[in-house]
Amino acid sequence: MPHALRTLGALTTAVLMLTGCATVAPAPAPSATSTRPLDNCGVEVPVTAPPKRVITIKSTSTEMLLALGLGDRIIGTAFQDGPLPAKWSSTTLPVLADKVPSQEVVLGANPDFVYAGWESNFAADGAGTRSDLAALGIRTYVSPAACKEAAYQPRRLTFGDIDHEIGEVATLFGVDDSALLAQQHSTLASIHKDTHGLSALWFSSGSSIPYVGAGIGAPQLILDTIGVRNIAADVKDTWASYNWESVIAANPDVIVLVDASWSTKEKKIGVLEANPATAKLDAVKNHRYLIVPFAASEAGVRTVDAAADLASQLAALERG
Amino acid sequence: MARTANGIVWTVVLAAAVIASVTFAVTFGPAQISPAEVWGSILHHLGIGSTSLSPLRDSIVWDLRLPRVLTAGAVGAGLSISGVVMQAITRNPLADPYLLGLSSGASLGAVAVLLLGSALLLPFAAFLGAVIALVATLLLASAFGRITPGRTILAGIAVSALAGAVTSLIIFWTVTGDSYREILSWLLGSLAGARWPAVGIAFVAIIVAGVPIMLSGRVLDAFAFGDTSAATLGINVNATRWTLLTATALLTGAMVSVSGAIGFVGLILPHAVRLLVGPRHRLLLPLSALVGASFLIWADTAARSLFDPRELPVGIVTAIIGAPVFAALLARRRVSS
Repeated sequence: MPHALRTLGALTTAVLMLTGCATVAPAPAPSATSTRPLDNCGVEVPVTAPPKRVITIKSTSTEMLLALGLGDRIIGTAFQDGPLPAKWSSTTLPVLADKVPSQEVVLGANPDFVYAGWESNFAADGAGTRSDLAALGIRTYVSPAACKEAAYQPRRLTFGDIDHEIGEVATLFGVDDSALLAQQHSTLASIHKDTHGLSALWFSSGSSIPYVGAGIGAPQLILDTIGVRNIAADVKDTWASYNWESVIAANPDVIVLVDASWSTKEKKIGVLEANPATAKLDAVKNHRYLIVPFAASEAGVRTVDAAADLASQLAALERG
Repeated sequence: MARTANGIVWTVVLAAAVIASVTFAVTFGPAQISPAEVWGSILHHLGIGSTSLSPLRDSIVWDLRLPRVLTAGAVGAGLSISGVVMQAITRNPLADPYLLGLSSGASLGAVAVLLLGSALLLPFAAFLGAVIALVATLLLASAFGRITPGRTILAGIAVSALAGAVTSLIIFWTVTGDSYREILSWLLGSLAGARWPAVGIAFVAIIVAGVPIMLSGRVLDAFAFGDTSAATLGINVNATRWTLLTATALLTGAMVSVSGAIGFVGLILPHAVRLLVGPRHRLLLPLSALVGASFLIWADTAARSLFDPRELPVGIVTAIIGAPVFAALLARRRVSS
């Protein structure tokens, strides 16, 4: 896109922002009542006209918009962690980049909003810093569960935090979130907590040093929800580098394998069986594995579905 | 004769230190296992007595800790020997396999072959990478005239930077999600993946390349007085130089293939040992090997237990200790020149 046009676009947006709500009246605006900017990982996100041209980075952001019925606003996706869940299998979205897009790719698509799953996606060598994009009139939003500043990182992720993100995104886009929230709550209510006092390792990636789900993020929330104790619960982090010695000492009853295209469940089973020490774990000897797709392992609208899925896999394991 | 007696004393003391290091280091770790139980398990595997540990906890000792500690010892010894040889042959007190680019070259070879999916070729690819990096460094250093210590280091930095950049490029293009952590250990050095096959590779390298190098102390002493005096002592200077450097590259390549590029071990320990026993290589070589073994065993024990239950790549620990020593060596050279 010619630079002059882009500048013009930015100027127009800036003027719109300066003149406030009066000029955006044509927008169907349930959000017009709530004009207080959102505090998103310490960055102010103005609640103005609902975004029309959105780029989503990582699967959690794409799926959040689809769940709120906002798929038509997505002009491009990037760094998707895996295929969309079955219910959206007929949806095809334009792909801007397989990994984190560069700032030029982002600007070239002419978005008015960029929604990212990780704060680090907004680096100068990634999609561009949030202040740079803001200066061009492009609003940015990061999944709050992924905020890294201590003051913004969830102390221990809850479904309330995910509801809160749903609410914020609904506010930004001026849509009603009650149906999605009701659906999330009914799925959550349907999950049976296991009562056998089982323990689990959440094996995300790695071979010589295992990278595991630790005590305060989505893995911990999901394990709490299905009634299984996380052996790395005492590490105050979302995910963390762990060590095999502690895993073996804990001898978990089940192992949750995160299935990603670059680190498949088969590869992880191979790692566990090749290491003579982990090969002796009860869960490895008896193939007591639960599988979660990578895209569902990070906090978002799929978290509750992932918990329901793991609960039923666990029930199936116990039926033998 | 006093010097020889002195040497024997140090050899005995430092060998005892290595044995003590192995003995105590295996009792450290995130899992709570008492020293008596640890040694009960090891002796049981050696066919003496029985162990009270469950099979799993026994496996922590025998499959994880002991091979890791033994690999650390062998890698520390190997890198130290490499450092001594490179310092002698290039007559450069600042030479070490890490600073002259061998470790980065070996890492590049290892990462490249890992992505092709062949773990068997790993030590050979690392060796090849180390040799190519060494040749590149020495050619670059000699391209503009006489090889000086400063030029060699600068050439090493250039080769190291290039190999590091290509390694990063490979990682950048092939790695998604959080799996970059796995390959990071090649750049920083880590012993977390060391199991019995790694012990095998490291010890075979010590026997095949390390021991012959250690027996060549007399030749290295001759080199210390310059090529001409070495030649008058009946040494085929060029052939000997390249044989020793190739053996060093083999040693470094084998070590990097099990541990990644661990820095500064080959630089700081030979200097520490020179302070103890002087510059004669017949003593310097074996003693550097012993001190290097103890040093890396404890550096790795710190790396895996300081931030329990998380782990640090051991290369971070050796760099934090080694970089200030490197700076001190630079300062001393400035004073002496």
